[in-house]
Amino acid sequence: MKTAFSLLGVVLLLFGLSGCATEEPQESGEKSITIWWAQWAPADGLQELGKVFQKETGIEVVVHQIPWSSYQDQVFLNFGNNQTDFDIVVGDSQWIGRGATKRLFLDLTDWLPEAVDIGTIHPRALRYLCEYPGGSGRYFAAPCETDAVGFAYRKDWFEDAAEMAAFQEKYGRQLAVPETWAEFKEVAEFFTRPEEKVYGCALLTGRGYDSLTMGYQVLMWGWGGSWGDEEKHRVDGYANAEGPVQALQFMKDLMALAPPGGTNIDYGKSLDAFMSGSTAMSMNYFAFYPGIAAEMGDKAGFFKAPAHGQTRVTSLGGQGFSISTKVSSRQQELAKQFIAWFLQEKIQRQWVQKPAGFTANTSILSSAEFAGATAYNRPFAESMDLVRDFWNVPVYNELLSVAQRHLGEALDGRRSPKEALDALAAGHEQVFRRVFLLQ
Amino acid sequence: MEGQGKWLKFGFVGPALLILIGLNIFPLIYSILLSFTDAELIGGSFGFVGGRNYGRVFSAPRFAAALRTTGLFVLLAVGFELILGFGLALGLKERFRGKPLLLTLLLVPMMLPQAVMGLFWNLVLNGYYGVLNQILAFLGLGQPQWLTDPDLKFFSILMIDVWMWTPFMMLIGLAALNAIPTYIYEAAAIDRASRWIVFRRITLPMCGPLLGLAVLLRATDALKQFDLVMAVTGPNDPATQTLSALLYQVMFRDGSVGLGSAYAYVVLVLVIALASVFLRYMDRLQQKEGEVAG
Amino acid sequence: MRILIRVFVGVYFCIAALPLGWLMMTSFKTRSASIGVQAKFLPTASEKVDPQSVRFRPTLDGYRQLNQAYAGAKYSFFRYLGNSVLIGLLSTFASVVIGTCCAYGFSRFRIAGSRDWLFFILSTRFLPPLTVVMPVLMMYREFDLQNSHLGLIVLYTAFNLSLAVWLMKGFIDDIPQAYEEAALVDGYSRLQAFRLIILPKAAPGMAVTAVFCLISAWNEFGFAMTLNNQEAVTVPVYFAGLQGNVQGLPWPQIGAGVLLFVAPIVLFTVLVRGHLLRGVTFGTIKR
Repeated sequence: MKTAFSLLGVVLLLFGLSGCATEEPQESGEKSITIWWAQWAPADGLQELGKVFQKETGIEVVVHQIPWSSYQDQVFLNFGNNQTDFDIVVGDSQWIGRGATKRLFLDLTDWLPEAVDIGTIHPRALRYLCEYPGGSGRYFAAPCETDAVGFAYRKDWFEDAAEMAAFQEKYGRQLAVPETWAEFKEVAEFFTRPEEKVYGCALLTGRGYDSLTMGYQVLMWGWGGSWGDEEKHRVDGYANAEGPVQALQFMKDLMALAPPGGTNIDYGKSLDAFMSGSTAMSMNYFAFYPGIAAEMGDKAGFFKAPAHGQTRVTSLGGQGFSISTKVSSRQQELAKQFIAWFLQEKIQRQWVQKPAGFTANTSILSSAEFAGATAYNRPFAESMDLVRDFWNVPVYNELLSVAQRHLGEALDGRRSPKEALDALAAGHEQVFRRVFLLQ
Repeated sequence: MEGQGKWLKFGFVGPALLILIGLNIFPLIYSILLSFTDAELIGGSFGFVGGRNYGRVFSAPRFAAALRTTGLFVLLAVGFELILGFGLALGLKERFRGKPLLLTLLLVPMMLPQAVMGLFWNLVLNGYYGVLNQILAFLGLGQPQWLTDPDLKFFSILMIDVWMWTPFMMLIGLAALNAIPTYIYEAAAIDRASRWIVFRRITLPMCGPLLGLAVLLRATDALKQFDLVMAVTGPNDPATQTLSALLYQVMFRDGSVGLGSAYAYVVLVLVIALASVFLRYMDRLQQKEGEVAG
Repeated sequence: MRILIRVFVGVYFCIAALPLGWLMMTSFKTRSASIGVQAKFLPTASEKVDPQSVRFRPTLDGYRQLNQAYAGAKYSFFRYLGNSVLIGLLSTFASVVIGTCCAYGFSRFRIAGSRDWLFFILSTRFLPPLTVVMPVLMMYREFDLQNSHLGLIVLYTAFNLSLAVWLMKGFIDDIPQAYEEAALVDGYSRLQAFRLIILPKAAPGMAVTAVFCLISAWNEFGFAMTLNNQEAVTVPVYFAGLQGNVQGLPWPQIGAGVLLFVAPIVLFTVLVRGHLLRGVTFGTIKR
């Protein structure tokens, strides 16, 4: 028995040593910037551009990717240390309030206008991704990735003659990209065929981080609702008004037209549902669409969020470069150098060519060349004029988890939409009251 | 057997006690202090807020919900594991060929990492391509959505926990059954007692103490349930939010260290209450053994 | 009646073995086969496999990919395995050594309040890790320990100490005191008696204790995840961190990795099967 144990011990030690013998992190001395971002295709693109930067300047750029579901947790946990492990964090738009007021993000107000012509940044991107408070002219982030929620659809199914004929017969109009939510529902109904394991639509309903809230607010805004009064931070009467209740009910109805597990679909699962060929239309951020286009070619088409009546709004996505206040000023200077380099128009042109790079540069966005380059560019450019965002106050994460929780209860059928939204409004006001924002 | 004075005693026992105090007691004291502040995860300065955090703990509906969820989980998990485990022990009591191997194999699940197995059970329980649903479809039964149906999520976690820990109950059940001397059964056979009477009047009572110990051990473990919840549904799901998951949500997701510490303290009081029940029970057991051994 | 029980045991075994068997099979599949809507459980050697069939083509891809960093992770699986091994072995060594000394002290010396001390040691096991993690994290931040192997090693040592002390006390109690008394009469000092007599006799017990401490550290998740380790990421945290990956979870890789991770545990379980009862009940129940 003794020999068996010692043998095992030796084997384990070998295991361990072999593991540790793999790549060690870079030693300090060489110039290097560490950027943290979520784990997805755009981060790969950023890393590629980072290599270009290294060739030009000799400064190494390391992009560390963390899966979306734990990205926020990891970043803010790291901010609690004496020194952060990253120099730049490509933060989600909602984080900016927290980052600014807790002095985690470096104030870029004086530096940004010098680094880039503010006029070339799309105004909505500037307001939601870079400024805090909104409209104040104080900047805490520089645009990195601009994004919006849109839809992918099976173009081949829509253009199939037999399908078109059947649709014409059933609904009396031509099968086409839905312009309104009512049309969307009809198309989804048409394509929901459980016996064939085919379903009409996959909406963003994930409970992990923010997918459900991001998906729901597209409908909420479309039905004329809002999250609340931005000045007084009142929520009751806004988030639980008649419009949002109807929107939530509509979303719930759409769940019947979704694949199994449709009440908990996050970004990755929405991607999966579409690419596995089982769903006709899937909701996701545009950053995921280049991957779909590469994989499915002409089978996939893209459209912007449908309207409800005259109102067409979609969720803002995107992240901005924020520089950590908890690193040395030398690192901060290197970071600024990289960001300034990145924002040059010629580099932005390269950025949009990278897998899933999306820019906020207005001249590129409005150019015909951009619109024609891919199937998703035009809907994306159009969506940028329609975007709105969730609360970005410092306690946004508590607001987010309250929203996730109660919206989830509605979709699960545990509460009616009205009850769920009432609970949500109460929860939000409680948060605001506690931090003395409620007036 | 007295040794060479106090220093030797300290030398042996000291380091362990110091480490335990340093990393168990001291954090608890620190935690109390934190619970009266509004400290946050991202650091920065914080201030004293009196008992406000505790007020929030007791008025939060999610705290009551987590209590309910955890209590239900402990009751059901331990209950099922006890019945299944003891049943297995009864079935495996006698010797048969291959028994040691079978036993060892059956005991494997309880030694596995919960977090990792929880992740893998995600694949097994997936509503779309999971193998469990495939089997059910084959048998003509429905296709329950184990991971997304709000009524089933709790049950899924329960199922995984029972899968992991039934062997624990079985192990202790076997030890208890084996401890019953055979002459008692022989005496009962002479008295021509029925099997049911034998079971009820002899087997069960004699296994009682050990099984009780096992139940207490398992209950205190089940109270801590965290890994499975994280792996299967995430910490913010009302259907499965146990006390530890709630703690994680408050401390690490909402980022409120002060409030989280208050929550932690309330949980601690509950755990200590249960622990003292356990310790008193164990004390009595050991005393009884001491009496028997004489 | 007996048949019924036999059937019950048989059914239970099949159900219990299902996930593990599935795990093993998955590790040999390609990714698309592992998430195929039709469950595949029959390996076949043929080249072309209909996606609808129950057959799959076994491949070692899952194992091979363990060598590469998956989708944005910094290192490959083996690095994290190495972390688990390093942290597990070092913390186990420390807790067994310190624990044995402590157990000896409580077993052989009359220490005031020893029963209370022992119960205090036992009660630390009842602490939910989440209740302690916050102050520990804040303490660690003062010394920048939160991102390091050393931090986890120290913590695991502390939390395994209670297990080590209780287990070793049971083992040492079983060693008759006559041996030491004889040695003391012969003029050996207490320390020498400890080193020359107790340690060799307690060695098997120490091995068993080491196994249980190692398993406990190996499987630990709560602390490993929350102490924000970018460097000292252990395997359970690595796997949990894969969730939410937009490329989807690499099930064959996970299967292969889990098997590799779990194999030592299974081996150890077999090795100490005679002491399992003692080990899992924290030394409170001996056979």
